[in-house]
Amino acid sequence: MATLTPTLTLVSTDLSDDELNFSVTDSLTVTAPHIATARTSVTTTGANNIIQPATDGQTYYVYVKHTGLDAGGSAVSTTLGIELTGDVVIGKLAAGEFMFMPVGGHSLGVQLQSSGGTIVAEYAYFTKG
Amino acid sequence: MATTTATVSITSADLMPGMPLAINASSQLMQTGTTTGLELMDMGAGKLTEASAADALHEALGTADTANWVYICNTSTNDEQYIKVGIHDTIIGNLGAGEWLWMPWNMGTADNEINIEAETSGSVTYEYAIFKSTYTLPAKT
Repeated sequence: MATLTPTLTLVSTDLSDDELNFSVTDSLTVTAPHIATARTSVTTTGANNIIQPATDGQTYYVYVKHTGLDAGGSAVSTTLGIELTGDVVIGKLAAGEFMFMPVGGHSLGVQLQSSGGTIVAEYAYFTKG
Repeated sequence: MATTTATVSITSADLMPGMPLAINASSQLMQTGTTTGLELMDMGAGKLTEASAADALHEALGTADTANWVYICNTSTNDEQYIKVGIHDTIIGNLGAGEWLWMPWNMGTADNEINIEAETSGSVTYEYAIFKSTYTLPAKT
């Protein structure tokens, strides 16, 4: 068992008259297996880019970032699809964007899919202990 | 134009022996394919009960491929209380006590609402924020 500390901060000085300055953190107990962290070149076929194994009653904490680069190191503006295995779309990341969320309650994994060409994604997952 | 910055830090001192983990990422919340920031935000807090089943945290936006972001936190301190989070009929995962998520939400179809459901008895408290590209006020009844 290990301790994982994720912190999210949201800041804006001009979204409204009142400044947004918000932070939330947690202390998570995690265990094997985990990947922290890795990069992969994502193609347009989600089934070929599975980054988290299918859940089997456990919860995985999953982090994904769109690096804004393709496999050759060139900048890209294509979007990175976040999907459950079986091509169930959850959402899309533009270049530079990231997400962190728990995945579980079903028997599916997580896969990534580029909207065109390749996208280098940074990812990590941790098994809830 | 609003500038909102989201930053995440994920650290661990004992996940890998002799190699502390430190993941850091930051991005500005932009409207799809532009350099214009998201200007609409809903924030709030509430309580869920198991009896209420799944509730829509926000109705579907119905606009294809827009950039929207969702933050949800299970603010309960009871380790037995968790919140099931889904997009329409797709279960994404379970938020345990104190856990939070930050995820994109850009589903285009009209029935892809964000929903949450308490999975234990008693009241489960939560807080949320949704950053949106667009929103059309519902028609009067």
